[in-house]
Amino acid sequence: MALVTRWLRLPASPIEHSIEGRAFVFSGFSVAMLAIALYGQDYIVPILAFVATAIGHVVSYRERNRKRGLWRQVFLAALVFGALFYVIADSALALFGGVLPQANFAILLVAITSFDLKTRRNCYSSMWISLAILYLAAVYAWDYAFGILLALWALYLAGFWIASHLKRMEAGVRVPARALALMLAAAILGGVGWFVAVPQPSGVPISPLVISLPNFSNFKGGLESPALPLVQLTGDSTGASSSVDLHFRGRLGDAPVMYVRTGAPAYWRGLVFDEYRDGAWTTTNHGYREMQPYVPPRFMPPAPPHNLGTFVQTFRVLRPLPGVINAAYPIQSLYAPVAALREDAYGTFHTPDALRPGQTYSVVSYLPDLSADALRGDELERVAPQNNPAYLDPGSLSPRARQMAVEATKGASNEFDAVMALTGYLQRGYQYTLDLPRVPAGRDPVDWFLFDVKTGYCEQFATAETLMLRSLGIPARLATGYGTGDYDPLLNQAVVREHDAHAWVEVWFSGHGWVPVDPTPGVAPLAATRFPNHWAGGGVARLLPHLTVGAPAAALGSLGVFAVVPLAMGIAIVFVLAYAWLRRRVWRRRPKTPPGESELLRLYERLQRRLGRRRAPPETPLEYQRLMQSDVLVDVTKAVNEGVYAGRWPDPTRVRDFAERIS
Amino acid sequence: MAEIARPATRLGHDVASQEQALEPERAAELLERIEKNIHRVIVGKDRVVRLAIAGLVAGGHVLLQDLPGTGKTMLARALATSVGGTFRRIQCTPDLLPSDITGSSVFNQKDVSFEFVAGPIFANIVLADEVNRATPRTQSALLEAMGEGQVTVEGTTRTLDRPFFVVATQNPAEFHGTYPLPESQLDRFVLAAEMGPPTDAEAMEVLARREHGDPIADLAAVIDVREVIELQEACLRVVAAPAIRTYIVALMQAIRARPDVLLPASMRAGVYLQRAAQAWALFEGRDFVLPDDVKLLAAPVLAHRLGMKGRGNAADMLGEVVSALPIPPLRQH
Repeated sequence: MALVTRWLRLPASPIEHSIEGRAFVFSGFSVAMLAIALYGQDYIVPILAFVATAIGHVVSYRERNRKRGLWRQVFLAALVFGALFYVIADSALALFGGVLPQANFAILLVAITSFDLKTRRNCYSSMWISLAILYLAAVYAWDYAFGILLALWALYLAGFWIASHLKRMEAGVRVPARALALMLAAAILGGVGWFVAVPQPSGVPISPLVISLPNFSNFKGGLESPALPLVQLTGDSTGASSSVDLHFRGRLGDAPVMYVRTGAPAYWRGLVFDEYRDGAWTTTNHGYREMQPYVPPRFMPPAPPHNLGTFVQTFRVLRPLPGVINAAYPIQSLYAPVAALREDAYGTFHTPDALRPGQTYSVVSYLPDLSADALRGDELERVAPQNNPAYLDPGSLSPRARQMAVEATKGASNEFDAVMALTGYLQRGYQYTLDLPRVPAGRDPVDWFLFDVKTGYCEQFATAETLMLRSLGIPARLATGYGTGDYDPLLNQAVVREHDAHAWVEVWFSGHGWVPVDPTPGVAPLAATRFPNHWAGGGVARLLPHLTVGAPAAALGSLGVFAVVPLAMGIAIVFVLAYAWLRRRVWRRRPKTPPGESELLRLYERLQRRLGRRRAPPETPLEYQRLMQSDVLVDVTKAVNEGVYAGRWPDPTRVRDFAERIS
Repeated sequence: MAEIARPATRLGHDVASQEQALEPERAAELLERIEKNIHRVIVGKDRVVRLAIAGLVAGGHVLLQDLPGTGKTMLARALATSVGGTFRRIQCTPDLLPSDITGSSVFNQKDVSFEFVAGPIFANIVLADEVNRATPRTQSALLEAMGEGQVTVEGTTRTLDRPFFVVATQNPAEFHGTYPLPESQLDRFVLAAEMGPPTDAEAMEVLARREHGDPIADLAAVIDVREVIELQEACLRVVAAPAIRTYIVALMQAIRARPDVLLPASMRAGVYLQRAAQAWALFEGRDFVLPDDVKLLAAPVLAHRLGMKGRGNAADMLGEVVSALPIPPLRQH
């Protein structure tokens, strides 16, 4: 170690004498362990490592002044390699469960090196590994509570820094520990009382800790028929229904369905339908291809031309959902923690089982550049794409509806203008409602929507537009899934709720493929997405009202039981500040040690040890010197007397000279 | 205490106005000059000589005790001569009156007025020989002058010139016709020293010097009055660190805790110990006090004012206390 330090020209790190500093380092690690247990659902290794690290810290503190033994270092190095092998084995065998085998390696590393925390630099490296563990836990963290853990870690880092330096300067802060502990206890009690007494924001369930084990069951039988989630009339084994029937509409609540951490807000597309018969959408092509849980880009269609780049979405399922991967399209690559995936003929991925709360999957998608100018350049080919005639089949669309389509798109010279004209026609002329009376028996739901009630919800709008476009010779299909949800630009996270379930149109453009178009009133007709401008002025301005009104309340609500923590911290800070103000004198620092004092006195002690007899308590330094007869002692005694009794301490260079003379 | 406090208040002006304060090295040199000069008369007795000078520098008064003929008076005279300034000697006898010391008013027939004739106390250095032979009344007049630095004669208060230094001698072995000084008056001497018997070599040397005359007749002053005052001020500038104060307080406590002590050391004793230690530091050219100074001066400063039970010897007791008492920890922070 010393060789490496010398070779890298690193200055030697001082031995860490501060117990408090070491306690902060251990606390930092404990926070990382808590994060791994909470978010990584990993329990065995963190608890073992926690105990081992506690022992390790005690051992290293006791032996901090001792020299490192060669064989112990070799043993610790061997343990590090052992941990490495364990991780390699664990990632294949899933020995202890948990979703973060690589975190286990970092945890074991901290536990092993905790037996060798001698210097300040050692303590810092322990802190940095704890940060790395927190970083790994962040992959699975979905709430503001993680921010509290991170803030705690930062607090511990600052605490370590302060404690270490205070100890080094041999200054101390007399903290009224008992009073502060009482204050903190009172604040936490107050916070709990507040939490119990004050009503919580509605619509946010307080759910117990979700524990997810990897799901390894495989597909049984063929893929029946994909269908819209949440309207589950005739489901298959994965919970996906076989059709979307416009005669029925389930009532949708406000409960969150999933969290999506995403680089850009987008529509989360699930199933796609191509055939409309008797008021219901189904699929014609039941083909699929089997995939591994990780689908690399080389298995996916090439990147669309002129795309704006890729962005990652990580989905965390909150309620039982059909086994369909909702994601932004087109997909570049994806990973889901299941045994296998199937991609249906429409590009949608399916999982073997229904998605359960706590499951997560990640998708990388392209962000296509869908500008009006680019799309206008695309020629209308009037051929069914992908050899599927259903894309051009208007089905049972009535003649007057076809006539309406022609009139609405009159004057449009290209495909894009025609699509936008029809979309605008529907958006302007029709009302959006969720209170739709039942479709009368024998009526076609689309015809009834277009000419009788003239109000509907997304499925009516999307169905009508799809069929009308087809009657004009423009290939189109119905896409279902979820809208973006409540996008929080602070967390880069969208909360998708039941009522975000959505249906829209995908229109075929020869140069761009399937382009999402949304005829539902109140949204942008071209459902194109952009990267959010987080740090530009506009983005900040957009954040402000968000922050002042809703965000704090929403953030507190989203914490659930953890809401006690920030409240208690806030109250505690107020108490501590008030207390500190009332007792300002207590916080004053002890008088600073003059430079050279501790160096000289430490050297004096060392010299006494070396001379074989230490100064007796009643002996003055001068008397001791006269009895000991040592040349160095004469000078050191003179310096000690000058320092202690005249306050003139030697400068450190002189002390170093003494030290050289002694050795 | 008063005569210590007074120069301290005056010092405030002096130090501020004085361009050049006396350096500790220069002080040591002056003191060495006095010492050498005295040693021309006194053979050996380095410790006692130094103690007497320290008493002068500390701004206090010194009591020399021993049998007759051990050189007490010789030492006092030698010191007085070395320092220049005015020197008067009071030979105490039972019929000595206070006015014999302080002086009195005499009627001047020419001017038809009373004229004050100063007594022997109006001098820089006063030798009060055999002070225990004077009556308590006369003793108290002398001690008032020592304590206050002033005398009051017939209602008029007259201040004595600085430096004012009294060397008193007494013969502890004699009881007939003596009035032993009470403890409260002994307490006014900053230190008391015993001459002790000479060694054979010293005795030989004394005889050799006296063969053809008295060497004190050739003695001349080596420093002047102004330099004595400077030395006294330098003494006040010597630093006694908090550790030294802690040590002195601990020492007083330890004495108080001794079962054989009847009358423990007063607060004044502690103040004198610190002041004497400051003066002692100057001899080695130091501007700070070491615990060694305190240790060394404990017996001369404290022994004469302690009341012991039975036949206990205060100096021996102090030696025991000092060798067992731990000095304060070197690390203060």
